Amino acid sequence: MLEVENVDVYYGDVQALWNVSFRVEGEEIVALVGSNGAGKTTVLKTITGLLRPRNGNVRIYGVRSDTIPAHKIVDLGVSLVPEGRRLFRDMMVLENLEIGGYIGRARNVKNENLRWIFEIFPVLENRLRQLAGTLSGGEQQMLAIARGLMSEPKMLLVDELSLGLAPLIVKNIYKILKEINTSRKMTILVVEQNVRLALEIGDRAYILENGRISGEGRGIDLLNSEQVKKAYLAMG
Amino acid sequence: MLHFAQIFSYGLLSGALYGLVALGLSLVFGVMNYLVIAHGALIMMAAYMTFWAFFYLKIDPFLFILLVTPAFFVIGWVLFKVLYQSLMKFSEGEKIKNSLLISFGLLLIFPNMAILFWTADERAVATGYTGKVFDVFGVRLPYIGLGGVALAIIVIIALHLFLTRTYFGKAIRAVSQDHEAATLMGINVNRVCLVAFSMGFALAGIPGVITSLHAFNPAISFDLTNKALIVLILAGFGSIKGVLIGGLLLGAIEAAGVYIVGTPYREVFGLILFVLILMFRPQGLAGKKA
Repeated sequence: MLEVENVDVYYGDVQALWNVSFRVEGEEIVALVGSNGAGKTTVLKTITGLLRPRNGNVRIYGVRSDTIPAHKIVDLGVSLVPEGRRLFRDMMVLENLEIGGYIGRARNVKNENLRWIFEIFPVLENRLRQLAGTLSGGEQQMLAIARGLMSEPKMLLVDELSLGLAPLIVKNIYKILKEINTSRKMTILVVEQNVRLALEIGDRAYILENGRISGEGRGIDLLNSEQVKKAYLAMG
Repeated sequence: MLHFAQIFSYGLLSGALYGLVALGLSLVFGVMNYLVIAHGALIMMAAYMTFWAFFYLKIDPFLFILLVTPAFFVIGWVLFKVLYQSLMKFSEGEKIKNSLLISFGLLLIFPNMAILFWTADERAVATGYTGKVFDVFGVRLPYIGLGGVALAIIVIIALHLFLTRTYFGKAIRAVSQDHEAATLMGINVNRVCLVAFSMGFALAGIPGVITSLHAFNPAISFDLTNKALIVLILAGFGSIKGVLIGGLLLGAIEAAGVYIVGTPYREVFGLILFVLILMFRPQGLAGKKA
């Protein structure tokens, strides 16, 4: 469970988020959508401790996360798949996965987790000794998700996964996320520029505009709302 | 032919030492973009400590490695906390510039401290095996040089295994590639940098011991830093595996220079090489990073 309450975030003197509040309950898929520069990545960086809110607070499974060191936040059970994948390109696929499971509790179950990862992404098993930087874009995105899963999170945050990937590959990866959500009861927060895609997959969704939450609702309802159709889907 | 073989083997023996000299510098630069050009001064200080330990306590230099390495680890730890930690928040370029400035200060302070403590006179640790040589088909290989080669190979392999086989070593490599992504994985980046920096200092201890076995004085700090920088350019900045090869290459090139032109010009060839590589392959011979 993730609760973001009245969060203001600044880059220096420039305010990027204004009074942002939203919540993600257990086992649901929530989409956070908005156009380029709306502050979506800022939200995720705030949740994972890479940025600190000036006002407001963030709770992850009941624990205030905005006051603990950033590297301890993954211990709370959330894992971020960052925008642009941010793989350790000069390390092997296997090493990327091992670093994904760096925290204590994940190290003890490394082999079980690896087996599970290979079930979800069989292609990675054949590439274990290959450098991460040499994978194709789709494979890199899969590895980034797999790396995020290695820490055994209860909640996965996925930032802009469609970026630079062919639509078919994106669709495939979203299908896999949906499966993980059902089979593992994994809570997922997806952040997407591709509004239609995100609203289709999300049980619920929030719309972020110029650093403010401007709408929320069930994904399907938003998809049919005038606001979304006009602003994001070039309809109406 | 024998003359050439002799010069060439001397070149390779010093080359292995150059590799060791550059190792700590390379590690620290690779992980956190700190260019600690005071590295040569650290090696010089380690050489004087070895000299003292031998002179007063009769501790064998090679045995003294077990003491000097942890001692320099601690010195690195303290200096990181006092001088270098505050640079962590800067961008890549700022880190290089600021760490360069601080290290330049240290490169002036340490040799002057050494002159105060030990005077500027040439010293050398004279052990029972100093000057002893193996004779291989007429080519003389000094015990000390061979010891240096053995140490260089052992240390570089050990460091490589540490970086590729242990969780902490992999964390160091992850941090060297992406601080933010490493943080997201639960890695304490500050801690990793502190340890890697201290390890870089510890790695000054071993070449220090070998340096003490030849004639040395406080001013060699600058020569050693010079060699280390040339090796780094040859090996590619931040490459651990490349360092030994880079060192041997520099040793071989110096040897070729000595053979063709003469001993007084030994230092020149490394520097010519340095300039040529910066002109034509600024990313280093083996490096990928610009």
